[in-house]
Amino acid sequence: MNDFLINLANHMNYIAAIALFVIGLYTVLTHSNLLKKVIGINIMETSVFLFFVSIGFVNDGSSPIIDLGSLGKIYVNPVPSALILTGIVVAVSITAYSLSLIIRLYKAYGTMDLDEIMAMRSEVNHD
Amino acid sequence: MIKHIPILVQVALLSMAVLIPLLRGNKAAKSKGITVALLFISSVFLLILIRDVRDNGAFVYNFGNYESYIGIQYSVNIFSAFMSFFVITLALIIMIFSTKDIDHEISRQSISQYYTLVLILLFSMVGMIFTNDLFNMYVFMEILSLTSCAIISVKSKKENYLAALRYLVLNTIGSLSVLLGIALLYMVSGHLNMSLMGQSISLIWQLYPTNILIATGFMLVGFAIKAAVFPMHIWLPDAHSNAPTPSSALLSSLVVKIYVFAVYKILFDVLGKDIVVGLGIPGVIAVFAASGMLFGSIFAIGQKDIKRMLAYSSVAQIGYIFLGLSLMTEAGLAAGLFHVVSHGLMKTALFLSAGSIIYYRNKRDIRQLDGIGVEMPVTMVVFAIAAMGMIGIPGTNGFMSKLYLSFAVLGAGQPLLLGVILLSSYLNAVYYLPIIISAFLKEPKSKNITMQVEVLPWPMLLALVTVGILCLLTGFYPKLVMDIVTQAAKIFLSA
Repeated sequence: MNDFLINLANHMNYIAAIALFVIGLYTVLTHSNLLKKVIGINIMETSVFLFFVSIGFVNDGSSPIIDLGSLGKIYVNPVPSALILTGIVVAVSITAYSLSLIIRLYKAYGTMDLDEIMAMRSEVNHD
Repeated sequence: MIKHIPILVQVALLSMAVLIPLLRGNKAAKSKGITVALLFISSVFLLILIRDVRDNGAFVYNFGNYESYIGIQYSVNIFSAFMSFFVITLALIIMIFSTKDIDHEISRQSISQYYTLVLILLFSMVGMIFTNDLFNMYVFMEILSLTSCAIISVKSKKENYLAALRYLVLNTIGSLSVLLGIALLYMVSGHLNMSLMGQSISLIWQLYPTNILIATGFMLVGFAIKAAVFPMHIWLPDAHSNAPTPSSALLSSLVVKIYVFAVYKILFDVLGKDIVVGLGIPGVIAVFAASGMLFGSIFAIGQKDIKRMLAYSSVAQIGYIFLGLSLMTEAGLAAGLFHVVSHGLMKTALFLSAGSIIYYRNKRDIRQLDGIGVEMPVTMVVFAIAAMGMIGIPGTNGFMSKLYLSFAVLGAGQPLLLGVILLSSYLNAVYYLPIIISAFLKEPKSKNITMQVEVLPWPMLLALVTVGILCLLTGFYPKLVMDIVTQAAKIFLSA
């Protein structure tokens, strides 16, 4: 039991990442408010970024700046962090684009709720 | 010089996309001219690249001369050269069509923006075909999903905004699950380069089977959402039917195929055939592919809007491609890639002719198409050729791809899937034949119509006739494409 808890604590990052991923996915799929869907996507993105950065972490590793004075020093893997910088840029552009679409939808329909929009659309189709 | 062609084509596409907003004067006309000329030049250069790869063999291109384990790498082989040539050439035909059609679909101010978006879209597609680096592929994929949503929402109608937003949300979920899969694979292999990753995974996969299985699951689900494999297709009908006609053609015939190529790369370059078979993935893909082939067609039967029907038909056709993939044999992979090409041509022909009908007569409802073949003979002949291809009537490229797929299915010893192919062809006939019959054989509503060639603008007619001829050409001479895709399938299986 004790080993299990220690194991759990050592892999906290991964567990948190998966929990966030599920929370985000749940938010996207269940909420009908479009803004909440975008927030859910952002939570999912954060979770994947956390997961990716955690892969690069090395226990007792220092930041990856080569220090010629101290040989045998352990460094954290810098590649995932560098990749995630790109990932954050992508996430921001997706958020910006989806928010602009939501603004246009709000102007057209007067609501941000997907269910209400769908109800309005089906009324139009029946006429 | 020749080894720089992939990146030069990409740089040209991207820089022109950035230059178009800076134009002065008649922006719309200038951007159309630039796009068509640039795509023509690019396709010529890619043709030179295909010749070179055929004669001198495949090569890799390292960016900035960094070693492959640290830098980004392009893998240029017969598959990537031919498929990027196919993408650019088909986009050229669609863009020639769009020069006249787009004026009717979107407002005048956004025309030059539209061409910017299309050029960035093509840039990312070419990048995804050539790249040999997983994270680079993710970045191109995000550019592709943003621009493919943007070419839907560029038509400023509220339906388009909603369709684009739904597409964007599902696309993002797909991208994120692909990224999570990439992270899991990076965790076990320590590489992002596909070839190096493939080498290390083939050594260690028995140590981490769960990790690799979960990673493959996430990636396949992500790509399946983006490629509209059957249960994940819900975004596709809205997105493809509301978009302007050139966008519909681009999205349906090219964009979804790019994700199929990504699946090919993941399954064969990164994981390798033995691991994929060992993890039992082909059976799962076959089930989804077969159900897509049937249900996509069944949904299409109920549609009244012609573009919506074509969109559902795409769901069924994606099933054919994944069915070829799921066989894991050389014939199956080649049949899948052949269907990528033939479906690209057929769907372009269908969407462009549907777009011409909307342009010329403003009719979208299938029940209003009585006698339209008399009013618009050229358009409807092209439509009929492509629709016959979809059904699988000999002489068209659709027949050849069904034939190759059927032989591949029998060669893999799964005769049950042959029944699925036949049933799906029958269902295709159920919704395509009534349109052809009512267009050519039924009396038009207004009696005083005489048979004459429709007065469409010449670029639209040129694009329609070209793509119709290409459908027949690949039907009568399938070897032109089949020889190349067989070599591509060999590359994938030997990796």
